[in-house]
Amino acid sequence: MTKRSIGIVGAAVVIAGGIALGLVGYDFLTHGDHAPWWQAVPDVAIAWTFLGAGLIAWWRRPSTQIGPLLLLVGLALLVRKLEYTDNSALFTIGFAVSGLYAAVFAHVVFAYPSGHVRDRLERWFVVAAYVLALLPVAVLLAFDPRRSCLFTCSRADRARPDSLISVTGDQTVYGVFHVAQHIGAYGVAGALFVVLIVRRLYRSSPRARRRVGLLMVAGLAAGMRSVTEAVYSFGPRSDVEGLTLFSIQGAVQIALPIVLLVVLLHERLARANVADLVRDLAGTPPAEVAAPVGKALGDPSLEVAFWMPARRGYVDAEGLPYELPGPGSARAVTALAHGGEPVAALVHDPALLEDPRLLESVGAAAQLSLENARLHAELQAQLLKVRESRTRIVAAADTERARIERDLHDGAQQRLVALALELRLAEHGGAPTDPDTKILLRSAVDSLQLAVEELRELAHGVYPSLLTQSGLRAALDDLAGRTRGPVVVVDAPSERLAPEVEATAYFVACEALANAVKHSGARLVEITAAVDGPNLLVTVLDDGAGGADPGGDGLHGLADRVEARGGRFWVDSPAGRGTRITTEIPCAS
Amino acid sequence: MRVVIADDSALLREGVAKLLEADGLEVVGRAIDGDDLLLKARSYKPDVAIIDIRMPPSQTDEGVRAAEQINAELPDIAILILSQVIDVGFALRFFSERPEGFGYLLKDRVLDVDDFLDAVKRVARGGTAVDPAVVSQLLGRSRPDDALAALTGREREILGLMAEGHSNQGIGRKLFLSPKTVETHVHAIFRKLGLEASEDYNRRVLAVLTYLGGA
Repeated sequence: MTKRSIGIVGAAVVIAGGIALGLVGYDFLTHGDHAPWWQAVPDVAIAWTFLGAGLIAWWRRPSTQIGPLLLLVGLALLVRKLEYTDNSALFTIGFAVSGLYAAVFAHVVFAYPSGHVRDRLERWFVVAAYVLALLPVAVLLAFDPRRSCLFTCSRADRARPDSLISVTGDQTVYGVFHVAQHIGAYGVAGALFVVLIVRRLYRSSPRARRRVGLLMVAGLAAGMRSVTEAVYSFGPRSDVEGLTLFSIQGAVQIALPIVLLVVLLHERLARANVADLVRDLAGTPPAEVAAPVGKALGDPSLEVAFWMPARRGYVDAEGLPYELPGPGSARAVTALAHGGEPVAALVHDPALLEDPRLLESVGAAAQLSLENARLHAELQAQLLKVRESRTRIVAAADTERARIERDLHDGAQQRLVALALELRLAEHGGAPTDPDTKILLRSAVDSLQLAVEELRELAHGVYPSLLTQSGLRAALDDLAGRTRGPVVVVDAPSERLAPEVEATAYFVACEALANAVKHSGARLVEITAAVDGPNLLVTVLDDGAGGADPGGDGLHGLADRVEARGGRFWVDSPAGRGTRITTEIPCAS
Repeated sequence: MRVVIADDSALLREGVAKLLEADGLEVVGRAIDGDDLLLKARSYKPDVAIIDIRMPPSQTDEGVRAAEQINAELPDIAILILSQVIDVGFALRFFSERPEGFGYLLKDRVLDVDDFLDAVKRVARGGTAVDPAVVSQLLGRSRPDDALAALTGREREILGLMAEGHSNQGIGRKLFLSPKTVETHVHAIFRKLGLEASEDYNRRVLAVLTYLGGA
C-alpha cells in the first residue's frame, strides 16, 4: 500500500470511528437522562469539529504533530461520553480519560504551529496538565467507595456504575482527590494556563502575535472557563447560572476548533503566497528583492544580506558591508545556500523559525532571484570600491598639487628672490665696480625677477594658495581678477567648506572658465556657488557661442573630477545661446 | 625711522635689512614667525613692520593674523605686507579697516630698490602702497553696478595710481601731466563717485576704496 492509500484508509477509519463514537455518546447522554438533546448535540458536534480540524491539519501539514494532537482532543472528547453509560467497563474507560482533552488542548495551544513546545515553562505546564488529567481520576477509580456508601455517597455517585478497577473503597481518599481534582485540574491549572498565554502574547513578536493571537484568545477563554468551573463546583448553582455557564462553555468549545481551522487556513494562504512570490519576483529589480520575499513570509521587516565570497562576509543590496545579527539579538537569520555555496541570508522575525517549511519553500522559490540579486550586490560592492579608489586618487592628486605649490613657494621662489636681492646689493655696493659688471648684475637681476614672476604664476596654476588660506570665495575672486577677456562675475559663499569640496568647486570653475575664454568668445561669465541642502551647486554660465561638446577633453576631465567626489555634472550648451555648466558636489558636513 | 622685519627666510630678512640700513633706516628687530613678530613689535614699538604672510608653524596665514593683532593692539605701527602671494580679500579687508599706514607688495618688488624704499617710508608716514599686480587684479574684478563705469580711461588710470599710493605730483610725473591737469581729473573722479567735497584726504581714501571694491 502506498503512503497515500494508508492515509486514506486511516482517515476513513477515523471518520467512521468518530461518527460511531459520537452517535453512541449522544445515545448515552440523552437516554441516561444526563443531558437534554440541545446540550448533547453541540457536545458531539464540538468533538467532531476537533476531529475534522485534526484530519485537515494532518493532511495539510504532515510534518507537524498538530494534526494528531487535534485528533486526540476530538477522540478524548468522544470517549469521555462513555462515562454516561450503565456498563462498568465503558464507564471506567470514559471516566479515566474525562480530563485528557483539556491537557491535549493545552499541548496544542503551546505547540502550535510547529508541533513542539519550545518554551521550558510551557513544557513543564503541559507535562503537569497530563499528570493532572490522568492521575487524580486514576486514584478516584482505584479508591471508588460507591459499593460501600449507598447512603453516604453523593447523588451523582449513586447514579453511576462501579469502577472496574476499584481496589478498595475509601471515602476519605476519594473525597480528598475529588476536591483536589477540581481545584488542581480546573482551578490552578486553568489559572496557570491563562497566565502562560498572557505571557506568551506579551513576549511574541508582532507577526507571531498575529498568527497565534486568535488561538491564544480562544485558549484564554477556555482557561477562564476552567477556573469558573472550579469556583462553581464548590457552591450551589442556580439553573440560570448553570445555563449561562453551559452557553459560555458551548460557545468557547465550538469556537476552538473553528479558530484552529481559521489559523490553519491562514497558513495555507501563506503557502499560496509562495506562488505569488514567484510572479512578484519576476517584476522586481535585484536591489529590491527583499520586499516581495518579506511579503510572502508575512514579515515586512525582513532584510536580505548577500554573501560576498571575496571578502568572506555579507553586504546589503547597495554593496555596503552588512553585519548579521548575532545570537541573542531580536532578529533571526536563515542562511540560504546553493550547491554548497552560501547565496544570501534572510534576517527576519524569529517567529518564522516556527514554520521552517514555509521559509524553505520561499527560499527555494526566490533562489534564482536571490542569486541574481547577489551578483548585482557584488557588482555594487565592486563599483563602490572603484568609486572610493577614484576619490582617493583625485584627493591624492590635489594633495600633491598643494605640496608642489608649497615647495615652490617656500623653496625655489624664496631662494630666487633672495639671490636677486643679493645681486642687487652687490650692484649697489659701496666699492666702485667695473661698469660692465654693473650692467651684467642688473641684467641678471632682471632675469631673476622675470623667473620669479613666472614661477609665481606657475605655482598659482598648480594650486592657488589662496584656496587653502582664505577659501573658495577668495580664490574665485582672485581667479576672476586674473582672467583676461570676458568680465567675470562671482557669487560664492564666504564661509569655509571642507577643503576637498573647495578644491573641487574651484577647479571646476577654473576649467569651465578656461573653456569659456578659449572656445566660446564669451563677454560675460557668471560663476555662482551656493550651498543647497547637502550639496554645493556650482554654476558657470557664459554668453558665448554655445555648442560645447560634453565629451570634449576639458569637460570630460571636469566630469571625472566631480564624479570622483560623488557629485553630478550637467552641460547645457545650445549652439548660439551660451553655455551653462552645472555641478553638484556633496558637501554635507 | 625704526623698522621690524618678519620673514622666515633668513636670506630675504637680511637682504631687506641691508637695503634699509644702507638707506639710513634703523632695523630694530628681525622676527622669524608671527609670535616672534608680536613680541618684537610690542617691545620695540617700531614705526613700521614689514611682514611676510606665510610663516611657521603652519605656513599659511600667520602674517595676516599677526598684522591683525598689531592693528588691534598697536595701531600706531604701520604695516607693510611683503609676500609671494596676492590675497586680494585680505588686502581689501585691511584697507577698509585702516587705510592709513598700510601697504601690500609682492616680494620681488624689493628688487626695484628705490621704489621699495619709497614705499616703506610712505607707509611708515601713514600713507599707502599697493603693488601694481594687486591693483591689476582688482581692476579685473568686475562689479556689475559699477560706479567706476562712469569714469574715462584716463580717470581710471589716475585712480589706479592713487590706489598704489602716489600723490598728485607723483601721478603727474608718471603720466607726463601737469599737476593742475591731474587735480582736474581727480576732482572729476570725486564727482563721478559721488564724493562730496569735505576733507580732501578722506575723499582720496574713499575714492581709492571704491576703486578697490572695498567701500
